[in-house]
Amino acid sequence: MSALLSFARFEVVRLLRSWKFLAITVGFPVVFYMLFLGERGSGQVIDGTVPWRVYLMVSMCTFGALVAALNAGGSRLATERSTGWARQLRITPMPAWAYVMTKVTASMLVVLPVLALVELVGLTFGDVRLGIGQWFALTALLWVTALPFAVLGVFVGFMVNAETAYPVVTALMFVLGYFGGLFNPVSQMPQALQSAAKVLPTFHHALLALEFLSGQTLGGINWLILVGYTAVLGLALLWKYRVEEARGLA
Amino acid sequence: MLQTGTGSGLPPGVKVSEALELVRRLYAHPASLTNTVAQAGISSLLGCRTNALSGGEAQRVRFALAIAGDPELVFLDEPTVAMDVEGRRTFWRMMRQFGEEGRTILFATHHLEEADQIADRVIVINHGRVVADGPGATLKAAVTARHLRFVITNPDPDRYDRLEGVTDVRISGTGVTLISLDADATARDLVKSGVDFKDLEVTGACLEDAFVALTERTRCREDDGPG
Repeated sequence: MSALLSFARFEVVRLLRSWKFLAITVGFPVVFYMLFLGERGSGQVIDGTVPWRVYLMVSMCTFGALVAALNAGGSRLATERSTGWARQLRITPMPAWAYVMTKVTASMLVVLPVLALVELVGLTFGDVRLGIGQWFALTALLWVTALPFAVLGVFVGFMVNAETAYPVVTALMFVLGYFGGLFNPVSQMPQALQSAAKVLPTFHHALLALEFLSGQTLGGINWLILVGYTAVLGLALLWKYRVEEARGLA
Repeated sequence: MLQTGTGSGLPPGVKVSEALELVRRLYAHPASLTNTVAQAGISSLLGCRTNALSGGEAQRVRFALAIAGDPELVFLDEPTVAMDVEGRRTFWRMMRQFGEEGRTILFATHHLEEADQIADRVIVINHGRVVADGPGATLKAAVTARHLRFVITNPDPDRYDRLEGVTDVRISGTGVTLISLDADATARDLVKSGVDFKDLEVTGACLEDAFVALTERTRCREDDGPG
């Protein structure tokens, strides 16, 4: 346990020091949000339940969480692995699960400031008005449900190398973002794309928050799909780790 | 374990002291910090960022990380590849001290003189098969090949090839080196043949010759063998 804590602290310190990485990761979704804000009127109501401005903020939170998790897990991890440092760590007595868990936790930590900043923009420029309790509950919900993104990020970091990480992460970001209905409401998409959206974690991540904000009960199916993604990706990650261990790679 | 790869093997964005501290914490019974720092010769590097190290410095830090857990057995995979002569000497001096404390060091190398000078036991592996195993001196003794060097104004390669026992002829300028399996016979033959040589010198094989002889012998055996 003390090994896990030492490694976690080491990782967090390293993360906080890489301010360029943090600035880009946190700044990107915020800038994206601002661009969308400038483009659209805010009077529209989506699917008869939530105003466009709320829909947009939630979508950008989801997008921000995705970007943060993919950058922290995917690109950063792939680069780190290419240096051989991960291999060096693997010969220490630190258990495999501690390594993977720390990486997922570190990604989750990066997600949090992204959510806070996007919400701040929502509050100041986005014309989103919520009670203080609602803000906190929304943040907590968006954060907890970002776990499948964090696991996905680390999984991607394990699957790609330093060169392929960038295109893969970018592709995932836009495929999951666009088809998950983060840039355009799913209900305004063609029928085929609508059914595609319903299997993507981004769609369900945003939908849970929207359900919460419009006072509906949170859909069990949304939770189930997010938990499913976390479990499947988590198992895939474990498998990948085992295969590498057997081959003596990292 | 110490490996040489494309990357530095060190975490970016931290000081050497922080990386070392982390790795020490991951072991239940790490070696003392003072010992590790002294053995790897990294006391002047502790405050440096890992991405600001030279190849040799990074290798020393990697070595520190490899011994931080106080291991009894250390694997080194071509440890001196990126080092200059000075760095290589310092490194092996450190290794010797480290080994004298009763630890085992296993290293792979393509520098055969390194294996000869440093290792107590040399194992030659050819195409995945062990072809020799023993102290460097024994390995060299097993190879009967000797070098006969002399100087001659107009070297004539065809002529030396036919001398008794000669397996190979190397000529550079006026210097001729004959590699012979029977140095005495070759020398007698050389005198008899009336070659006008100067400065004749007969030396034993180096480990590199032993290596070539050993690996070639197995290759021949493989080629001759059935199927």
